[in-house]
Amino acid sequence: CVTLDVQAACRDPTVTQELLKEGFHRDLLVKVELGEDAGGCAVAAQMRLPPGIYVDPYELATLQQHNLTKAVLFPDAIDVEAPEYLARDLLLLLFLEPEARCSRCFRAAVPVHARYHRPAEGTQEAWVVLESPEVLLCCCHSHLSAECWEPAEVDAPCSSDNTSPCQWHSTKHKPAHEGSMLRVPVGLREHNSLVCALTLLTTGLCTGLILAAACKYGHF
Amino acid sequence: TYRYTPLLAWLLTPNVLLAEAFGKLLFVAGDLAAAVVAYRALRRRGAAARHACGCCAAAWLLNPLPMAVSSRGNAEALVALLVLATLYWVEAGSVGKAAVCYGLAVHMKIYPLTYVLPIALRLRSGPGRGEGALDAPGDKTAKFTFMARLWHLFVKMLNRDVLLFGTVAGSVLAALTVTFYHLYGWEFLEHAYLYHLTRRDIRHNFSPYFYMLYLTAESKWSFALGLAAFLPQLLLLLVVSIAFYRDLAFSCFLHTAIFVTFNKVCTSQYFVWYLCLLPLVM
Repeated sequence: CVTLDVQAACRDPTVTQELLKEGFHRDLLVKVELGEDAGGCAVAAQMRLPPGIYVDPYELATLQQHNLTKAVLFPDAIDVEAPEYLARDLLLLLFLEPEARCSRCFRAAVPVHARYHRPAEGTQEAWVVLESPEVLLCCCHSHLSAECWEPAEVDAPCSSDNTSPCQWHSTKHKPAHEGSMLRVPVGLREHNSLVCALTLLTTGLCTGLILAAACKYGHF
Repeated sequence: TYRYTPLLAWLLTPNVLLAEAFGKLLFVAGDLAAAVVAYRALRRRGAAARHACGCCAAAWLLNPLPMAVSSRGNAEALVALLVLATLYWVEAGSVGKAAVCYGLAVHMKIYPLTYVLPIALRLRSGPGRGEGALDAPGDKTAKFTFMARLWHLFVKMLNRDVLLFGTVAGSVLAALTVTFYHLYGWEFLEHAYLYHLTRRDIRHNFSPYFYMLYLTAESKWSFALGLAAFLPQLLLLLVVSIAFYRDLAFSCFLHTAIFVTFNKVCTSQYFVWYLCLLPLVM
């Protein structure tokens, strides 16, 4: 009976992740409801973005300048033009803001962009799977219950001043939440020969027409 | 991603120091200045004031595409201004000023490099002279084969004007390249010039080759297809230069229209490159 009480005292945070808007350019909205009060700790969500999706570092820098979003990217040098098969995974640490509707709710949004995927056989779509984010707390002065939270190793600094001993914490139990999926349209590999033939034929024809007009009206 | 000359970055530093909209306002001003140069070029040719004004307004000033391109922050208006200035000075006979504008224009965007053939042919024949550079001396024109005339054309290309133009433009370009290489190293060369020459972009889809290049991006035919796409462009540019160089503005307009249409990559700002010459050919 005692063990049940201890486990019941540790409510895991509820994490929801939504992709807003349509198309290749979306907004990733992360909402977290903590099991207990944050107690003055900064709340963040860490997620691994697959190669099929990326965050534009320049866009992020502009948003941070205007105090609209706060996030850290690893690595911070991203090739924004690379197709999915030439790109790498990305680690995004997104700092969440308290939400007005409830005392333990936090949320943040960050713009994300899908990459071009390679053409596929038999299907006109590819899927980008986003795993559920991990909730991290950065605490400087407060103490969190040791049953629910454990120290975590995170590369980003917790707070701007280095005087207080700030430490990142993650949940002891890592429940599997549902991730989200992004549908990306792709070309059909079966169309290869037809597209090549048509393109070269059309451009050849246009070249011929222009040459004919140049010979007719030009002054040689 | 920024792949232009450092000169443009320097021009835009007031964006950081003064106001974020400075760059866009600068390009809009460039847009208007380009219209002024086009108007003066038309008037110089003898067009009536009202007709010239109408052409400039209809084709450039009131055209929504240049407006959108300049106000979204693309620097095409500045290159358009330099290209129009080059053509204006060539027609006016000031070869030196034309060469400086041309060197600057090529440094900012590589595409004006294709104008070198029409400009050289035009300078060879000189402003106002009726006969073209292809005419052989005397009355032996009928006996000359096409290849012989072509050879005659290229050998006799070099006259004082062409040499002056080439030297001044080449020096301006070389000076700018060396200065920026000294300041920024290999990264400058790679991004400002080399990237544009070997660019394979499967994302911008105005080019007729876009879907073909996207589907074959990883196949072994990719290089051969890229070459197959380049050859018609080259052939057409050569033929058009030789056929229409007498009317320099028209020749450059055709050059750019063909270059943009048959290019492997085409984004909406490329259309501004030939739209700026439209008032002159109307």
